[in-house]
Formats: sequence, structure tokens, C-alpha cells
Amino acid sequence: METTKLPPSSPSSPTTSFSVPSAEKVDGFPRRSMRRARQRRSHSSSQFRYQSSQVELTPLPLLKDAPVAELHDLFCKKLQQCCVLFDFLDCVADLKGKEIKRAALNELVESVATSRGVLIEPLYPEAIKMISVNIFRTLPPSENPEFDPEEDEPTLEASWPHLQLVYEFFLRFLESPDFQPSMAKRYVDQKFVLQLLELFDSEDPREREYLKTILHRVYGKLLGLRAYIRKQINNIFLRFIYETEHFNGVAELLEILGSIINGFALPLKAEHKQFLVRVLIPLHTAKSLSIFHAQLAYCVVQFMEKDATVTEYIIRGLLKYWPKTCTQKEVMFLGEIEEILDVIEPSQFIRVQEPLFRQIAACISSPHFQVAERALYFWNNEYILSLIEENCQVILPLVFATLYRVSKEHWNQTIVSLIYNVLKTFMEMNSKLFDDLTASYKVEKQKEMKRERERADLWRGLEEHQDRRMQMLTEAARNQRNLQERGERGDPPSPSSLQTAHSDQPEPKPSGASSSSGAGESAT
Amino acid sequence: MDAFKLMKELRVNYEQEAHYLPRETGLRLIESTTEDDSRISAKCRDAKVEDVWSLTSFFGYSTQTFVLAVNLLDRFLAMIRIQPKHLSCVSVSCLHMAAKVTEEECNLAPPVELIRIGQCRFTASDLCRMEKIVAEKLNFKSKAVTALTFLDLYHQIALSHCTDGKEILSLEKLEAQLKACLCRISFSKAKPSVLALSLLRQEIHAVQSEDMLEIACHIQRHLKITDAELRLWSERVARRLSDYSSPECSKPNHRKLQWIVSRRTAQNLHSYRTVPELPTIPEHCWDESESEDSCEDVMSSGEESLSSSLGSDAEGPYFPLHLRRQHLHA
Repeated sequence: METTKLPPSSPSSPTTSFSVPSAEKVDGFPRRSMRRARQRRSHSSSQFRYQSSQVELTPLPLLKDAPVAELHDLFCKKLQQCCVLFDFLDCVADLKGKEIKRAALNELVESVATSRGVLIEPLYPEAIKMISVNIFRTLPPSENPEFDPEEDEPTLEASWPHLQLVYEFFLRFLESPDFQPSMAKRYVDQKFVLQLLELFDSEDPREREYLKTILHRVYGKLLGLRAYIRKQINNIFLRFIYETEHFNGVAELLEILGSIINGFALPLKAEHKQFLVRVLIPLHTAKSLSIFHAQLAYCVVQFMEKDATVTEYIIRGLLKYWPKTCTQKEVMFLGEIEEILDVIEPSQFIRVQEPLFRQIAACISSPHFQVAERALYFWNNEYILSLIEENCQVILPLVFATLYRVSKEHWNQTIVSLIYNVLKTFMEMNSKLFDDLTASYKVEKQKEMKRERERADLWRGLEEHQDRRMQMLTEAARNQRNLQERGERGDPPSPSSLQTAHSDQPEPKPSGASSSSGAGESAT
Repeated sequence: MDAFKLMKELRVNYEQEAHYLPRETGLRLIESTTEDDSRISAKCRDAKVEDVWSLTSFFGYSTQTFVLAVNLLDRFLAMIRIQPKHLSCVSVSCLHMAAKVTEEECNLAPPVELIRIGQCRFTASDLCRMEKIVAEKLNFKSKAVTALTFLDLYHQIALSHCTDGKEILSLEKLEAQLKACLCRISFSKAKPSVLALSLLRQEIHAVQSEDMLEIACHIQRHLKITDAELRLWSERVARRLSDYSSPECSKPNHRKLQWIVSRRTAQNLHSYRTVPELPTIPEHCWDESESEDSCEDVMSSGEESLSSSLGSDAEGPYFPLHLRRQHLHA
């Protein structure tokens, strides 16, 4: 293991001299990733198979200069040379060797991309071996344990200068007109594909971009691997959803799936529908949804365009998983619903309209203005408007009360304007229904106000009653005291006052009681 | 109020109503105008009145405010020729004037709010000036005798004569129907007393109450309204109301309204319309049987229902191609 070399700016240097440019600040605070960058330490290489006794590479002649007879042999030798790995975390080590490998890789890429007749059978295993050796590695744990894909800068792969060329080679290899799937399938097997899929967890987006294109070609050309690939992707997603909630390559995998879904044959196989219901829809519950939502929504809409009967599953699924506290997600869900409604068939719409518009009504009354806005903006969509118009009788009652109430209560003026637009649209659609609903809304309001008044009256009555009782009790207590004092002073007890004292016991009689006791007292 | 007082009130209003009628010649001129940028047409006026109704409803103003506003508007339009681009200002001014008369101060929407919600292009000071102009031209007095005045009186009279009148005849419903009629300029030509009576008769006919019908006739005789006039307007009212009540939904005029959202929402609106970069991979029927190595993993017995395990080709051929070939040769 090489010793950890500290980068020039050691962590102990005073950070006060390092001023954060304002572009790196969010809301006046420097981003988390910037803070971490200052404390960066070099860590061990991602390629654990780094050989300490380095094999010296000798530069080979150029491919383009080689005579035809020696071409394939030279090609093979170069492939073997490229199986040697270098440490890129140490910037100064093996510069010569690195350059030789880089040049060799470049040549190989050129050769596969341009020349014909290069890819002969014996080259396949060598090529795949070289690729495997270079790209298959255990990915290092993230430098930033709290890596937030939305906020933070990703950690880039250090050996990208070579790695990029290897990926480029692989891609050209697959896309070459001489490429023979029947030959390749012996070497690009399930084990290979599984390792390829694991690499999608790389933090480096450039790597994932290559992997995405490569896997797309592999899926397209190697038919025998298709079912296996789909199954493994399912596993990855399910693990992501239910176990780890961590995987960097969800968006890329979804993009590939998008192109696969687009090509589904009709009628849709049960396997695919299961995938939709068991994997794609639950994927909406992930915390980091914003990273891959666009691709996910695309997949969902593609499904709908293939087979309209899945619509109900999709919408009910989304309603089931509707975010309850995360408004950012709610806005995303609303965007997806609009895209779905854009392609929905009217017969399917009717099946889901009631629960859907109940949810939309709930969104309209959300105190978060973006959620309310997004929901109200549906009425600006012509196709959705035509769907609503056809089912006005069902939909208007569901949203009417909410619209009216929110228009009076909401703090945000833009929302109030949008609500006016929606109400006006409804008014133009069907005046009578609108008037009927207005009338019944007013009646409801009156009833409610009446109930409120009655409740207030009841409480007031009880309070007054209580006050009167307290009054009487205090008076009774006073009378008692007076009598006692008299008794102590030796005044003759008067029978009448004694009687009145008894009659003063707490019994809610109107002021007649106190007046009689008063009369009694003056009598004595 | 007792029945006698009501009838007296009725007479008084009847004598007054002519003062508040829009000039018939003016109304006819508007009705005969074709769609044109320089003059107000009937369609133009009707659309504006519907806008006024939307605002009335939105701000919670009463039907009375609306009816008064329309009355002011029609009287003004019948008198003064204005350009269509000013119609918006005139109508909102009328609404605001009517609201100031009818509504309580605390319920009045400030002019700025009216303009903002109504998406109008003029300013509050424009509104103020227009109000003065309208008031001046119409010799504006607070109270106007409108169809609603009569409707209200008729309703009270009907109630005073029938014990269960309240259940049969709903004033709200009549008001809604009146509103529907006023949205068409032709009804502004009718005398308010006649229009109101037509509406009343229409509703009585719908609820089929003999007692009420008698009361309606009584009112007609009291006010000396001719049969011919009543019949004319009753027919028109009936037609309008059947349009209004039809369950068919009409397509709203979408382009008129402005949909303004906040910057953040606008940014996110079309972020999903991404064109996919990866070309489509078509699915083949014989996918899984091409390769023999991958066969064992894939060939698990599949059921057709959605409860079968993921990854199995539930709807593929039961015997894979290569096995079937073996079977044939066996």
C-alpha cells in the first residue's frame, strides 16, 4: 500500500485565507461540498489490484504502420499491455507507463472505429479481458458520507484518463459493423453483465453515461441476455426502494428501460405489467426522487401509450403513494399527473376521475403556493379541459367548495387569480350546474354560521348561569358568616333568620331567594 | 308587509320603471351591429355581462348588485356610442358603482382588486373617471327599479297568500334565472315588470301550482299587463331558460384568460418534455430462446396472472423453440 500523500493544501492550513467565492454559497452559506473539499485527504485507490512491482511497458509500433499480416498480433499485444493498471491518485508516478497505455488505448479505439476486418474471433476474449480488468473494480465508499445527489458535487473517478478510453473502446467494439453477437455472447455472459450493472453505482456521472450507452447496446444485440438484464435491474431497484435507498445509477437505468418499454410488443406481457406495478410505481416513494423523476415519468407514460389498461393501476398507485409532507415531491407528482392526463384515453379517465380530482382539490387547498399553483394550472391544458368538460357533472361538485373557500382564504394573490380563472372556466362550461352549486354552497355556509351562533349562544348561556350561581353562593356564604358573628356576640338567635339561613342552601332559585333572606334579616 | 301594502308598492314601482329603461333604439342598434372593431355588438355586450357576473360571483356580491350593474350598463350603452376597447372599463365601473350602493362597505372589493382579478388593462384612476362619466350621463340615483325589484315583490306577494309558498317557490332559483336572462341583451328591451312576471309564470308552470297561478294572474290584472306582451316575453324566457338548463357543457373560451404562475412553477412546467436519447429497442417474440445458456435461468413456469414472480416470461410459448425441435425429432 502506498503512503498517503497529502495534497499541497494540507488540512491544517488556516482556512481563513481561503475565501469562498459567492457562487459557491447557497443562501449565504458555503455549500457542504466546498467545506469538505477543504478537508479532503487522499484515500486509497479504487483499484485494489495495484501491483507494487510495476511492469515496465515498452512502446510497441503503431497499428497503422503495421503490415496486414502482423496487425492482429500487434492488436492483441496492445490489448495485453492495456491490462496493466496505474495509480492515478499519485499524480507523478509512472508517467511514462501511463502515457504508453493511453496512446495504446487511443490507437485501439481508432482502429476499431475506422478499420474493417479487425475484429476476428481470437480478439474477442482478449478484448473482453482487457475491458474487464480495467473497469471491474469495487467502487470505493463515498468520500462524503452524507452525499446528497441533488446538492453536492460528485467524487470523480481518478483514473478517468484511461478509463474513459477503455469505455470508448468497448462502445466502438459493440457498435462495429464487424461485431458478431454470436461470438461475443460467449464472453459477455451473465457474470459480466452483473458486474457491469454494479458499476452503475459509480458516483462519476461520465462513467454512468458510458455504462448507459454500453448496456443499451448490449441489451439490443445480445438477445439471450435480455431477460437476465431485466431481472437484475429489478433486483437493483427493489433493493434501492426497500433496503438501501442508495444507488447512483437509477436515472441511467431508467433511461435504458424507457427505450425498452418503447419497444414492447403488444399485447404487453404479464411480466412487464408486474414490473410497472411492483417496481416502477413504488420507485416514486424514494427520497431522492428528483434525480430520476423525469426518466421515471417517461417510462410510466410510455407504458400508458403501449397499453391503456394499465392507466388505472398507475393513477391509483400514485394516489396511494401521494406525498403527505414533502411539497417538493408533491409538485413533481402533479407534473407527472399532467403528463399522464395528456395521453390518457377518455374511457380510462372516467374510471379514475373521482379519486383523482379529490386529490387535486386537496392540492389546491395546500398552503404551499407551488403545490396549489401547479394543481390549478391543469385547467390551462386544453386536452385536460376537454376531459373535464365531458365529465363536468362529476368533477365540478368535487372541486367547487374547495375553490370557493380557498379564494377567500389563501394568502397568495397569484393563487387567487388562478382560482378565478378556474371558476370562470367552469361557469362558461355549465352555468346552471355552477349556479346550483353556488346556491347549495351558500346554504351550507348559512347553516354553518347558524350552528356557530347557536354554539356561541349556548356557551354564553352557560357562562351566565355559572356567574349567577357563583353570585348566589357568595351571598349565602356571607349570610352564614353574619349569623355566626351575631351568635358569638350573643345576639338572640331569631328563628326566622335561622330558617332563612337554611333556605339559602344552594338551590338555583332566582333572586327571589336573596330578597327573602334580605327581608328576613331586616325583620330581625 | 301585508298584502295590501305589497300591492301598493307594486303599483308605485310600476309607475317608476319607465325611468330606468334603456333606450330601445340604442339597444336595437347594438343588436343589429355585426362583429366589428368600431362598434359594440350584441355578442360583445353579452360576453362582457358574463364577465361581470363572474366577478360578482367571485367577490360574493349579491344578485341585486349584478342586476343593477347590468341596468346601468345597458342604459349607458343605449345612450352613448363607445368603442369596444372601452367596454371593459365601462362594465367594471358599473359593477363598482352598483356594489357601492348595494353592498356593505366591509364587503366591497377595492377597485385595484377588481382590475387585477378581472385581468383588465386599465388603471384605478381610469375606473374612477369612468364612474363619474357614467353617473353623470345617467343622472345616477341610488335606487333603480329593476326586474329584481319586481321579482322580489311578486315573491313576497305569493308567499303572503300561500302558506307553504317558501317550499314551492325559491327566490334564489328565480334570481339565477333572471341572471341567465340578463346575459342576453334582448331581455333588456323588456319592461322589468313583464320580465319578472314571465319568469314567475315559468317557474309556477314548472312546479305546477294552481294557487300560485291564480296569484300571478291577479298581479297581471293589477298592473294591467297585456296578454300579448306577457306571451311574447314568456316564450322568449322559456327558450332562454331551456338553453340555460341544458345539461350539455359548452366549450369555454380558453384563450381569453391569462394564466400567470410564479417563476419557480413556470421553470418546472416543461422540464419533463425531454426527448429520449437512446433509440428504441424492439422486443422480439423469440428473445429468450435464442441463447441456450440463458435458458435455464429464464424458463421457470409462469402463470398468467400478475402474481407470478418477476422475470418469468409468462406469456411466451410454453415449450421453448429449441426444446420443441428436440421433441419433434424424438
